[in-house]
Amino acid sequence: MFPELNSILNSTPDSFKSSDFILVSDRRADASFLIHHHLSFYLRAGCKVCFLGLVQSFSHYSAVGQRLGVSLAQAREKGQLVFLEGLKNSIGVILQEDTSQETQPLSYLRTPGAGLEGLFRFVERSVRQSGDGDAGESWGPPVLLIDDLSVLLSLGVSVGAILDFTLYCQATVCSELQGNMVILVRCEEEDADDDEEGSNLLRRGLVHQCNLALHVEGLPTGYCRDIHGQMEVWWRQGEETIYNQRKIFHFKVHDKGASFFARGTSSAVL
Amino acid sequence: MLLLSCVLQGAEAGGFILIQDTVKCTGRGLLKCFINAALKRGEDVHVLGFESPETEVCAGLDRSCVQKLHFHKGFPDPLGWTRRSSFTVERFASQHITQLIKDTQQAKASVLVVDSLSLVLRHHDPLVFCQTLQELRKGGVIKTIIGLLHSDLHQQGIVGIVCYLASTVISVAPANNERHSVAKTTRRTKSGKVMQEEEYFSVCKDATLSVQAKPRQPGHVQKERDVSEADPTSNLTFNLRLSEEERKAKEKVALPFVFSQEKKSALLKPTPGSGRIVYEPDDNDDFDEEDPDDDLDV
Repeated sequence: MFPELNSILNSTPDSFKSSDFILVSDRRADASFLIHHHLSFYLRAGCKVCFLGLVQSFSHYSAVGQRLGVSLAQAREKGQLVFLEGLKNSIGVILQEDTSQETQPLSYLRTPGAGLEGLFRFVERSVRQSGDGDAGESWGPPVLLIDDLSVLLSLGVSVGAILDFTLYCQATVCSELQGNMVILVRCEEEDADDDEEGSNLLRRGLVHQCNLALHVEGLPTGYCRDIHGQMEVWWRQGEETIYNQRKIFHFKVHDKGASFFARGTSSAVL
Repeated sequence: MLLLSCVLQGAEAGGFILIQDTVKCTGRGLLKCFINAALKRGEDVHVLGFESPETEVCAGLDRSCVQKLHFHKGFPDPLGWTRRSSFTVERFASQHITQLIKDTQQAKASVLVVDSLSLVLRHHDPLVFCQTLQELRKGGVIKTIIGLLHSDLHQQGIVGIVCYLASTVISVAPANNERHSVAKTTRRTKSGKVMQEEEYFSVCKDATLSVQAKPRQPGHVQKERDVSEADPTSNLTFNLRLSEEERKAKEKVALPFVFSQEKKSALLKPTPGSGRIVYEPDDNDDFDEEDPDDDLDV
């Protein structure tokens, strides 16, 4: 959890906006540090977290989580964290003989054209489970984290199917259960023929749906040792603010966190 | 009257009004204003809500006319996965929609609002979609169709097709000023006349629209902040300004190379005792009486 980011977004584990759909995207940069931030943030807040880890193993997130002060293994044991290990389970799904299991979460690996209804059913089951922890503790509002959604595009799932899936997730997690959603999408370079199905089209569709968009890119002026990139925070529609507000911050990722600062105020400069 | 307000008040009855938006500026607020205006006119409004919950669409609408609003729940289950919707996207066909409206009330011309057309286009062939729209317009049960389209989520050709079907197209975009957005309205009347206007608008909390004309010269509104010109003669250690007498004296100075009347008469005044030129031409000389300098404007 990054304290500076909390103050930028005006949220703490004790008080944060609910029914929020936060979109994290990057272009030729790596925004996964924001996923680690949100994972530790919501675990600290005591929420029930459903994490679709499609691109890294559980031990990877666990190791980073240790550095940020949360234990994923413990959370999973207690029932606070439901983790879908995409990489480990995919071999099993591809190699299995019977094709009858249409509603399996990773069924899109066998039939990418059929859509993501199976994955949605998994998400729905996970977030609707009532808290049955050790001391019967009930967890806070559910949170869905996805890392990352654009990998589904390379597996043959269409942009429309992914947007349908996120719409359903938003309807269930955000609107109905008053929980939050954080999704990572990785984009390629903007092309002249942007009409084609691709990560940029997916990102635009998700920006239409989301409440907050965090976009990470490298510095437009090039590589810098002390500033790892810039992050644009785009507050979209909410009850109070109908008008969009966008701000750009610079950041630097450390071993145990990341620091954010206004443009031009890096410690290397001042 | 401003064109956007005209369209909102339903000055030309019927037709297909298309609201186009992008990620930069959402058109849902404007859609809500249209719903509110139709309700206030006493029309029956049927909303096919696929993308937004009913609470969000109905927030801020005039409470007294809300019973004329029929929200057909697509959201939260527009595709029928959880079997909780009353109208799924795949049922977007003229016979289903017509039946839906006839079931709700007596067959009176009503307003159909679709939120959003992008979701419908994602699940229907564009040609079939266009056919459906045309059938709905000619069907007689629906007087006006109002649809929201996210133009940056479709190929340009598809967006073009839907625009062609519409009698009015309103594209929203952000303005430099954060308080307002810009709406570019193109309206085709039945007589074939096309009107186009760009206007500022903002949506109030009670779902009413406030429209302002956009000035012709963009420069005036572009800068909200005061751009005061800096006075270069201020804050100097020497004086660059002129007093009144100095200014008058400056204006009186005759510039050296300007040939004014006074200078000419001063130069050409014959003084007594100046030399005379006596010229006696030779036989070979070609003596021309004319003055070669006659045509000079001096």
